[in-house]
Amino acid sequence: MTWDIIGLGAVSSVGADARATYDALCAGRDGRAPVRVFDPAFYQARYAYEIDDRGPGGDRPLRATGWLLTAVEQALADAGLDDDLSDVPVLVGTTLREQRSVELWWSEGARLATDELHFGNALRRRFNARTSYTFANACAASLYALGMAADLICLGQADTVVVAGTDSIAESTFAAMDRAQTLVPDAARPFDRGHKGMVMGEGAVAVVLTRAGARRTGVAARLRAVGLNCDAGHPTAPDPAGVEAGIRDAHQRAGVRPGDIDLVMLHGTGTARNDETEAAVMSRLFTDAPGPLMTAVKSGVGHTLGGSGLLSLVTAVLSMRHGAVPPVIGLTDPIEQAAELRLVQGAAAPARIALAQVNAFGFGGINAVAVVEKA
Amino acid sequence: MNSESTAHPTSVVVTGAGLAVPGIAGPADLLHRDRGGTPFDPETGLKGRELRHKDRATRLALRAVEPALRDAGLYGPNGPDLDGARAATVVSSNTGNYDSVCAYVDTAAQHTSRAISATGLPQTSTSAIAGWIAAGYGLRGPAVTLCNGATSGLDALHWGRNLIAAGRADTVVVTGVEPANEVVAELLGADPVDGAATIVLESAAHAAGRGARVRARWRGYDRGHDHAEVLRAAADPRAEPIGLWLSGAPRADRPHLPERARLTCLADRLGECGGALGVLQCAATVAYYDDGGDGLVLATARGTDASAAVAFLPPRAAARTAL
Repeated sequence: MTWDIIGLGAVSSVGADARATYDALCAGRDGRAPVRVFDPAFYQARYAYEIDDRGPGGDRPLRATGWLLTAVEQALADAGLDDDLSDVPVLVGTTLREQRSVELWWSEGARLATDELHFGNALRRRFNARTSYTFANACAASLYALGMAADLICLGQADTVVVAGTDSIAESTFAAMDRAQTLVPDAARPFDRGHKGMVMGEGAVAVVLTRAGARRTGVAARLRAVGLNCDAGHPTAPDPAGVEAGIRDAHQRAGVRPGDIDLVMLHGTGTARNDETEAAVMSRLFTDAPGPLMTAVKSGVGHTLGGSGLLSLVTAVLSMRHGAVPPVIGLTDPIEQAAELRLVQGAAAPARIALAQVNAFGFGGINAVAVVEKA
Repeated sequence: MNSESTAHPTSVVVTGAGLAVPGIAGPADLLHRDRGGTPFDPETGLKGRELRHKDRATRLALRAVEPALRDAGLYGPNGPDLDGARAATVVSSNTGNYDSVCAYVDTAAQHTSRAISATGLPQTSTSAIAGWIAAGYGLRGPAVTLCNGATSGLDALHWGRNLIAAGRADTVVVTGVEPANEVVAELLGADPVDGAATIVLESAAHAAGRGARVRARWRGYDRGHDHAEVLRAAADPRAEPIGLWLSGAPRADRPHLPERARLTCLADRLGECGGALGVLQCAATVAYYDDGGDGLVLATARGTDASAAVAFLPPRAAARTAL
């Protein structure tokens, strides 16, 4: 079984929609800037990839919810659908939900309604959405949501599903990362010997998924499969066996072999643990020369957490459409484990991409891998 | 909810239930007080080497998973006795990590990030609970966390059921948990349950293959804006009379439901159950059928954005009504 992706939406630090984000990434433009969303005085790290829309009065609650609504609006418009979702389930993947709003309530006394802490009420108000789910599946969340949306269609429970991801930078996560990372990263530099760790980003992303063949035109790409699994091991470090099992699950479900893949959208967080593990697994899996092109969007938008996997997928779809793959921004000196990989460096690479693999790995060893095909 | 059953007749059953709820020894106590056994006490029950460096929600959840696996016959003398590659984890929690979120911000503001625990990173995301359960019991299938408001527990059961129907797992361990702490008390303005419930879902074929005792059969799930409409869809009188209605609200109105159906609201006794409610209701369903109860069990929850209902059939139901 396959599914059609018929609409794309995104809001990121480098672009107000999916196309603008893709164009910025291709141009090598990143969204890195000093932290503004809270006072970084208590932290060693001072940089993030923010959407600076807080307004003059300081940070305000529910920004992640706002970006989510915008990304969903864009995806529906791109699909040519109206904005009544009373019969269309909405599956939202997120790492931190509205935890930033909880912080603002706790620390600064911001007003907060507890039933706004999942996204259902906002989706109901804006789109009359009857059925929505907030999945907190760490940094694999939006690809997990995509896989579960495909299941809904496969099981006859829906014909069309909106899949989205959203996250805003939470100070508690910034603080815990600041404590946990040995080095002090000032930029996301995945797979470069100069990588120092994860740098947070924020934004939202959405796609509209339908049963294959539901429409003749306007299909952006075809979803072949999403593999889902869990390392069942370390809470934060990826396990090569679990990552490989997730990829093999995706390939098997899609009916493809590693040699069929033209492009891999890497998870690429810029932490030594992730980059070394992911590069080693890729080197082991993709043995046919020349092997697929590979890139990592976190080099441009930072780690957008729950939405990052789906943003990688949207970037893959636009790379197929426009015939160019954005570079790993800032990559000049790849780590040893990535020496044999065709990482796009310097500038966007012109390429005909028919089949792409998208990696997303989250804390808790939660893995999701999608295979998407040019329409 | 019946549209799928004809095309994909995957039959899903409940084979185990476990609790870690203060003052309660096991699922039977949810419907009948003092059935014997030692009530769970967080003071003593949340200690142990394997619970170190974990937040309260995770510790409560881990204490519910093991009895559920034992109850399902999936826990042997050497630990979990199941095919981990075909076993999935689902968690429902709305407030599970808010205590850590607020504590980290406070700690950093007072003493910089150096004062935050080096092992505190995982619980910045609610997904840590599912990650720890998967790691603790070797569940290598999908790991899914729902934070979906009042309906979250019933939604989690639905997604667990879907993972089986979609062929992603044979066994799904579904846990609902809400901890009590200062942050949650202030946020909710109510006392949360401070407990966890775990349910084991299996495909009927998998359960039959290992000779497992079926405790309840999945009938269906419905979700929508209109509470009365959801109840009507879930409680189809053609299928089975309602034996027990597990309501999410104490003052439940009874649209379309016969007056004789027994009504129980778990929150009356347990406090605010939040994302744990639906899973606790499923545990109560197991207790009801274990005790010889008959008819349909209807579990409902009502949030501000939606209502949800799950219907169960008795373990002895004839195959023709068990979808």
